Amino acid sequence: MKRVFLFFISVIAAFQLFAVENTQNKTLRIVTSANFPPYEFIEGSKIVGIDIDIIREVLKRNGYDMSVEDMKFDSVIVSLQTGKGDIAASGLTVTEDRKRQVNFSIPYVSAKQTIIVRKDSAIDSAAALKGVRIGVQHGTTGDSYVTDNIQEPERFDDAAVAVSALLRGKLDAVVLDGEPSKVHVKKNPELKLLDEPLTFEEYAFAVDKKQPELLEKLNKTLKEMQQDGTIDAIIEKYYQHTESAVAENSAENLDEGFCSEIYLNFVKNQRWRYLTDGFFVTVCVAFASVLFGVLIGFGVAIIRSTSDQTGKFKIADWCCRVYLTVIRGTPVVLQLMIIYFVIFSSMDIDKILVAIIAFGINSGAYVAEIIRSGIMSVDRGQMEAGRSLGLSYAKTMNLIILPQAFKNVLPALGNEFIVLLKETSVCGFIALQDLTKGGDIIRSQTYNAFLPLIAVALVYLILVTIFSKLLGMLEKRLKKNEQ
Amino acid sequence: MSVLQITNLSKSFREKQVLRDISLKVDSGEVIAVIGPSGSGKTTLLRCAAMLETADGGSIELNDIEFFQNGVYGGKSLLKQARRQCGMVFQNFNLFPHMSVLDNIIDAPVHVAGISRDVAVAEAMNLLRKMDLADCAEFYPCELSGGQQQRVAIARALALHPEILFFDEPTSALDPELTKGVLRVIRQLAEEKMTMVIVTHEMDFAEMVADRIVFMADGIVVEEGPADKLINNPSNERTRAFISGMKAEF
Repeated sequence: MKRVFLFFISVIAAFQLFAVENTQNKTLRIVTSANFPPYEFIEGSKIVGIDIDIIREVLKRNGYDMSVEDMKFDSVIVSLQTGKGDIAASGLTVTEDRKRQVNFSIPYVSAKQTIIVRKDSAIDSAAALKGVRIGVQHGTTGDSYVTDNIQEPERFDDAAVAVSALLRGKLDAVVLDGEPSKVHVKKNPELKLLDEPLTFEEYAFAVDKKQPELLEKLNKTLKEMQQDGTIDAIIEKYYQHTESAVAENSAENLDEGFCSEIYLNFVKNQRWRYLTDGFFVTVCVAFASVLFGVLIGFGVAIIRSTSDQTGKFKIADWCCRVYLTVIRGTPVVLQLMIIYFVIFSSMDIDKILVAIIAFGINSGAYVAEIIRSGIMSVDRGQMEAGRSLGLSYAKTMNLIILPQAFKNVLPALGNEFIVLLKETSVCGFIALQDLTKGGDIIRSQTYNAFLPLIAVALVYLILVTIFSKLLGMLEKRLKKNEQ
Repeated sequence: MSVLQITNLSKSFREKQVLRDISLKVDSGEVIAVIGPSGSGKTTLLRCAAMLETADGGSIELNDIEFFQNGVYGGKSLLKQARRQCGMVFQNFNLFPHMSVLDNIIDAPVHVAGISRDVAVAEAMNLLRKMDLADCAEFYPCELSGGQQQRVAIARALALHPEILFFDEPTSALDPELTKGVLRVIRQLAEEKMTMVIVTHEMDFAEMVADRIVFMADGIVVEEGPADKLINNPSNERTRAFISGMKAEF
């Protein structure tokens, strides 16, 4: 994974020319991955936590405002390099690999990687980890420590899912940072924490290498805050917060009832809003990008088939072929990230728009081929009949060929939309809170993997079912003039 | 006055030469039937004249518009002008399945000739009455029999008032009992002095409706002459063999 990551970095570096520095801004953009309580997590609609409070205080003392942006953990450092953020506050451990890409502040808090096992487990020390199934959170220091010193672990995006896997016997141990580990163990009586931690580590803020003066200010203020006890106070506040949250959660869990689980996951703190908000983002991105895609697809399909039939538009046809090859030859999640982190890296652009553009361009390639197959499925005689009546090629295409082609490919187009709708679930990679990401957030707050996942799956299923019904009705209407 | 003049036309598909220096002249009001064994090039000849196929060499004139001269096609506007002179009726009708019968007919007048919709509809209804299809205006092609569809196709071709109408085996795709209506319409057009070139296998019909019959084989005109002479007393050996073969079938 690290190699893939480095590869991505070098791709980004190649496009750095497009990036514009953003140092003059009085508002600094903090990037984080808010699924790592108590360091950073989402409460209500706000991102809070030890890291966030410390950096807010640091910036306040230096006269800066700040905005916080949530994203996948493995996107955090990339976003500094591509100018999407100024400071990363995301429980980052200083490692040699990371030092090559960004500058680190002095450490502001020390933490440890601890080992969680089931109560009945024979694993009693770090030494016993060799050869068992270990789960880690993807991209964390626990991940790199286990990878480098023990073996390849199983990597999860979300600590709560790793813990669920441990509970269900799919893993033998989970390595997580000390504080979140405590929460998970308290919440699940079947689990225990080994006394001996796997490693000690220190967290620091990361700053883009192009902003050394910002780093200096950061370090100076951090030292002050260590001396005047501000940092300790913040940490203390959140530890108490964690303890009480766990106590509250487990108190509610006492009856272990399904209803109380539902209450905890969806009702409490209006958590259902993550799902409804995510639902609207998903639907909006999917519909807008399918429209955009159909627009592109029609254009490309017409150029391609006109070029095939008449030999015109040679250059445009060549461009279309390149477009189809590139878009169909690469995963949509990479296209999304390249468009966000590379092409729009220096632009302050709404992420929903980025997603619509990325998925629209992606979908356009598939729609183009679907429509082209539709055009080719229309009998040659139709074009000849149109031409013999004096209609121009373009008019025959518009009035005669395309309406028939469209009807022929409607089921395939519907299918493409269904695929697209579900593909938008990778929006989380650019920190857009779609339906899937909404479920992720609930999971990171309630430490429960099952219900949020099932709920999200259900919403997708209902969406697709409704859409299929609508499509069926449209098809029936268009079919009235068929034998 | 000639409406169609084809001079020394040649056309090859890859290596195979389909038309060899063929010439044909059709006068205004004349009805020509083109007969011949399959592969003789008669459909290709028709399609070249109707500008659905590009010829390799020779010249074609439609109503004195020389759109193809000594192997070179004229400019866009000349081609467009020439195209307006002719109408085409296909073997497989090629009606537009997503449009009603009426829309099939008025589509070209409205979009090509720029006639207002009301005028086009009135004219289309006249044509449909002539085709005995007045009550089918709102039907879709798939709701009609093959014979009815072909009559709609004829009405559609006539709606642009072409100087000459080409028929490419208009009854070949029809069940025998459905051909009558189509043939009746063509005969009626002949009586109205519509200039027509008909590629057909119906010998009796050709004899009855055509002023002149052209017998083609291997890309050349083997023999041509007045209908009853060519059918009943052909001078060429191949013509005789072909016609007696066709008659023996029935």
